[in-house]
Amino acid sequence: MASPAAVRELQRDLENKANDLSKIQKDIAKNHQVRKKYTIQLGENELVLKELELLKEEANVYKLIGPVLVKQDLAEANANVRKRIEYISAELKRLDAAVQDLEEKQNSKREAVLKVQQRMQALQAGKAKA
Amino acid sequence: MEKMSVEQLKAVKEQTDLEVNLLQDSLNNIRTATTRLDLASAALHDLSLRPQGKKMLVPLTASLYVPGTLDDANKVLVDIGTGYFVEKTMVEGKDYCERKIHLLKSNYDQLLELASKKKTVADEAGAVLQAKLKQLAPQT
Repeated sequence: MASPAAVRELQRDLENKANDLSKIQKDIAKNHQVRKKYTIQLGENELVLKELELLKEEANVYKLIGPVLVKQDLAEANANVRKRIEYISAELKRLDAAVQDLEEKQNSKREAVLKVQQRMQALQAGKAKA
Repeated sequence: MEKMSVEQLKAVKEQTDLEVNLLQDSLNNIRTATTRLDLASAALHDLSLRPQGKKMLVPLTASLYVPGTLDDANKVLVDIGTGYFVEKTMVEGKDYCERKIHLLKSNYDQLLELASKKKTVADEAGAVLQAKLKQLAPQT
């Protein structure tokens, strides 16, 4: 016996779950974007580090801070670039863990949505018979 | 791919087409960057031919130039990325340009290979899709 109220409630449940699912998918897409940006920065910093390592001790290194070129110590520049590389790598690892978690949530939400859809179909089939 | 349904084939073809487009964009970017490096290398070479003390016009903005004299053409400032600049000799500067151009060329070749493979997959998917549609369509 399928009351219209039961069907309505299932529909509401379905909508909620579908909304949750699309939110998770948006989060996954954002994660991908941020991770792309970080990967590019990591590549650039590694190039810079390689160049710095090729330099002799007394070579002059300058850093562009706003409109000003400031002379920097080679050791300091090396340390700065290394620290940035460490930071970016840590961020990428964090993003990896986050995206895995999101993908698990996405899969379980998909299953939940499917279950609700199946129940609705069963209910409506029952209604049609009666 | 023969075993896939029409729907799946369509999805595969669209996905691969997208990937091919992305790879083409990357290839274009690399070509632009290589051209800029070539220009930089040529400019360096030209600079090395100029004598010290030569009169020149220094650009302050895109439309304002100021007269000046060439100081030391043996030292050049190279942009190595992330806001860092290194003072190098003319020889090192040319060497830097050459190195970067080689790196870009090898990246370009790798990408080209990848893009051709993807294009083959996309074309194959398209062909199988056509064949299937023909099979399904004329039932008369």
